[in-house]
Parts: sequence; C-alpha cells; structure tokens
Amino acid sequence: MSKRFDAYPYVWRLPLLIWQGLFFVGPLILMVAMSFWLVRNYRMEPDFVLKNWDRMLGRDYFWNAYWVTLWRATLAGVLASLIAFPASYALAFRVSETTRRWAIFFLIVPFFTSYLVRVYAWQVLLAESGPINAVLGFGGLGPFTMLNSGFGAMVGYMTLVLPLVVILQTFSLAAIDRNLIEAAWNLGASPRETLFQVILPAARIGLILGATFAFILSFGDFVSPFYLGGSKPPTLSILIIDTTKSGQQWPRAAVVAIMMIATLFVAAFAAVGAAYGRRK
Amino acid sequence: MTDTDPLVRFSGVRKTYGTFEAVKHLDLDIGRGEFVAIMGPSGCGKTTTLRMLAGLEEPTAGEITIDGKRMNEVSAHDRDTPLVWQSLALFPFLNVKENVEFGLKMRGVSKPDRHGRAMLWLERLGLKGFETRRIDQLSGGQRQRVALARSLVTEPRMLLLDEPLSALDAHLVIRMQGVLTRLQKELGITFVYVTHSQSEAFAMADRVVIMGHGEIAQIGKPQEIFRAPKNRFVAEFVGRNNILPGKTPGQEIVVAADRMQVSASDPGEGALPAEFLSEEFAGTGIICYFEGPEGVELKAQVTEDQLENLAPEPGQRFWLTWAPGAAHVMAGT
Repeated sequence: MSKRFDAYPYVWRLPLLIWQGLFFVGPLILMVAMSFWLVRNYRMEPDFVLKNWDRMLGRDYFWNAYWVTLWRATLAGVLASLIAFPASYALAFRVSETTRRWAIFFLIVPFFTSYLVRVYAWQVLLAESGPINAVLGFGGLGPFTMLNSGFGAMVGYMTLVLPLVVILQTFSLAAIDRNLIEAAWNLGASPRETLFQVILPAARIGLILGATFAFILSFGDFVSPFYLGGSKPPTLSILIIDTTKSGQQWPRAAVVAIMMIATLFVAAFAAVGAAYGRRK
Repeated sequence: MTDTDPLVRFSGVRKTYGTFEAVKHLDLDIGRGEFVAIMGPSGCGKTTTLRMLAGLEEPTAGEITIDGKRMNEVSAHDRDTPLVWQSLALFPFLNVKENVEFGLKMRGVSKPDRHGRAMLWLERLGLKGFETRRIDQLSGGQRQRVALARSLVTEPRMLLLDEPLSALDAHLVIRMQGVLTRLQKELGITFVYVTHSQSEAFAMADRVVIMGHGEIAQIGKPQEIFRAPKNRFVAEFVGRNNILPGKTPGQEIVVAADRMQVSASDPGEGALPAEFLSEEFAGTGIICYFEGPEGVELKAQVTEDQLENLAPEPGQRFWLTWAPGAAHVMAGT
C-alpha cells in the first residue's frame, strides 16, 4: 500500500523555499548571467563574452581592493573576538544570572537604531575638531586624524559587530559544563592552563562562529569604509558602487559581487569545518 | 609524621552559604589506605565536605590538614586530591588517551613519559585499544574507567569519589564496586567515597560516616552502623530495621530486620503481636512488613522457605520475637 501524500509539511516549507528562490537563487543566477553581458551606449545587452571578467580580474585596482577588504575583514574578526572575550568571559563566569540577562538585553539595544545613524555619530566623535580630539588636546595630545582612515573604518566595523560577537561568545562560554572547569583545576591546571586547555576548546564553536560573523559582516559592509574610512583605499563594496555609477557597468559590478560571494562561501565553509570538525 | 597519623584531618570545619549552613561542625580523621564512605540524604553536607577536601570550596571556619599540613589556603590545582565526578566530567574535546594524560601534562611530565603512563593505566583498567576513541563513542562503564584512569594516573595518595556509580545500570554498579575495591586494595591509597546509596557504602567501605543536617551522626564499620545505630536518624536512614520503645520511658531500641523471628503462634512473653501487610523481595531475602501495636510498622527478613511455610495472608496475625542480644539500645534521638 502506498503512503498517502501528505501536503502539510510541504505547505509550511514553501514560504521559505519561495523566498530563497525569488530573492537569493534567482538574483544569483541573473547576476552570473549578467557578468557575461555587454554595456553599449550606457545600456546592458545580453551577450556571452568574458570581457568583464578579463577587465576586472586583470586589473590591479580590483586586486588591491580585494586584498584590502579581505585583510580588514580578517582583522575585524580577530580584533572583535579579542576585544569581546574578556567581556564575554566576565558575563559568563563572574556575574549573576540576572546581571547576565540585563547585559544581553543592553547588547541587543544597539540594533534598535540604524547602523548608519551610529556611524554618523562616530563621524562627529572622530572628527579633527571633535570631542575625542578636544579631550586629548587637554592632555597636550593630538589632534589625531582618525576619520577617513583604516582606523576609522575599523571603529565602524567594531560598532557593527561587537555586540553580536559578545552575545555569541557569552552564550557559548556560559554553556560550558562547570564540572569540566573544576575537573581541570582538580587535575592540576592553573587558571591560565584551564583557559587555554579547557575553556577555549569547550567554547570553540561559539568563538569561531563569532569571529566568522564579524568577518562576513565586515567583508560586505559599505557604510564604515565609505563614511569613516573615506573610501581610501576602496573596498570591494565601494568598488561595486563606483562601477555601477561610472558608465552603468552593472556586468562588471556583477563580477565583483560574484567574487565576494565566492570568498564568503569559502570562508564560511572553512569556519564551519573548523568549528564542528572532528579532531583526529 | 608516622604511618599511624591520619592522612586527612577535619578540625571544627564549618561551611556556610549566606545563612545556609551546609556543614555545621565537622571533626573527622581519615587514615592512610582507608576506604571511607560518607553517606547521608541529599543536602546533608557530604558533597560539600568532599569539595572542601579537594579545594573546590573554602571552609568558613576550622581547619583541614593533609599529612599534617594546613590546606585551607591551598588552591585546588596545587592539591593532590583527584576527584571522580558524578557526571565524570571527561573532556569531550579530547580523546581517551588525552583525557588520561591531562593531569600529567599539567604537571609538566614529558610527552613520552606521559604516553607510557597513560597506556599503562588504560591497560590496567581494560581500555587497551580505546586510546584514540572519542568520549561519546564509549559506553557508560568504559567512561567510568576512563575517569578512574585520569584520576589515578598521577599516583595520588588519595582518591575522592562523588557518587560515581549513580548514573550506571544496576549490573554495572556491582561490577564497578568490584573494580573499585580491588584497585583500592592493590594501590593501598585512601578512598573517600561520597554516596547516598547504602549498598555501595556497606559493600566497599572500611568505615562509614553517616552525615545529617551538616553534622556527623555516626562513624563506624558498616556492620556497627547497621547493628548498632546511635540514634533514630541513623536507624531510619539505614532502614531494614525496627525501632521500638525500650524498657525505660524515652528509650528506644533497634532490631535489625534479619534478627526478627516470625512465628504463627504466640510463643509467650516478649512477643509482639503483628498483622501481616505485605512482602518485598530484597535480593538477600524477603522483607515482610507487619503492623504492630499502636500502628507501628515492623519488618522481618525471612528466607523463601520460611515464607512458604508461613504462607502469610494480609491481615493474618503473627508474633515477632528477637534474641536479647539482637536488640540495640540507642543513645539518643
């Protein structure tokens, strides 16, 4: 007897499938196709030429932007993880359950306001004649150029990713079985050894995911490198904007976008592999 | 320091959490090579006592010495007091051998030496061939033995065990009891074993410490605790006995269930009339439950043959007697 077809589970899965199909897979296919099109007289014409790929990947300015973006995103991932860890550690191990709950709440609050608004705020704070330089000036320091630099961009990336990284790290640290930590002490591990031999390996998944999210969000971000980094040097996201603005070169922008997505796929796979992979 | 001096001494130890007194006042000596079981109901302070010995909790007052040396301020990782956790607390991100090597690594033992000693202990506990297995690939009994190997590989003078068998199946518990007693005798080291299970404590320990409400209720050999409980708390906790009024007012006596004789006819003076309630198979015999004078519950352990001869029906009247030597007069309540 054949099983009766049960539509129920499929109905519930359908919205997600439609959404992903319409707004992710569809555009992706269109984008790949578009990267082979040509622009004539500021108009796109469907075609199949390798010219766009050749033009973009053959130029230094693409590769300069690529390496800058990759380097900055990696730095943002590492930096955010390092800055977040002491806070996450304290929230996971040193404070009461109530304090932790409030802290998580206050870490969510930044997401209430637009990231763009927060970056504008940083523009004021970091300006040559801004409050930070004013305070430093009292101490006889500065003024420092913080805006329109790699430093400015990094401040923006941290604004974007730090709360999320702290939340992910805190949850993974708080989930560690306390008996494991006590067992490490009991077996002669100093607090330092316990941190490196037990706490970090036990929280590995959350720590790697935190760094990965910081990397992914920073890699694709346009706001910070543009408004705080002054587009010097341009990142891939800025390159996409520039390319579409100058001469309606959507096909070439598509090449950049595909390169970005490919890089993120590789990074995400590597991270998941590192997080969940079995040690030999 | 001589061999007759105790290895561990608790003097006037107290531990409070806020207003809660986990341990009120503890004086206890534990000897070298002794197997001591600390037993009591939940919240009696037995685990806190063990954790203070391991340095995981600091006493609020009093002093703990090991080998005559004051340990109060010595942190957990500087003590030689490995503990086997109820949850075992094996490191899931390390394989079997790496788990066993952990304590040696922390003590700076060289890699080849570490390997050799870990392999020796794995073999000793029947885990040869499992070195590279992950912890989640092991059975409950195997994990238990990994935890033991991890704690014993550093050759400590004492091993602390916190309800280590409570998560195991009944047939494995018996087998692990054998493994533990054999190990303890072979190594000649001190075992401090915390449990709420009498059968485990009585089967393995040289000496049993019964704790209640943060204090020691009685210390003695298993047989002493069972035959001669000091007070009502111990008698009730140990169970399988009858608590009866004594000759003088306020006095109470206790008679173990296996010292109680059941007869179908009135044998004369001193016999307690009782109505049969039910029977329960208890492994070593059958426990019969009766209702005695003034509704007091009475227990008598009989053999299967005796049960067949008596053929008790619920509500049927019997008489319970005991030899004068079988009754133990309790000191207080």
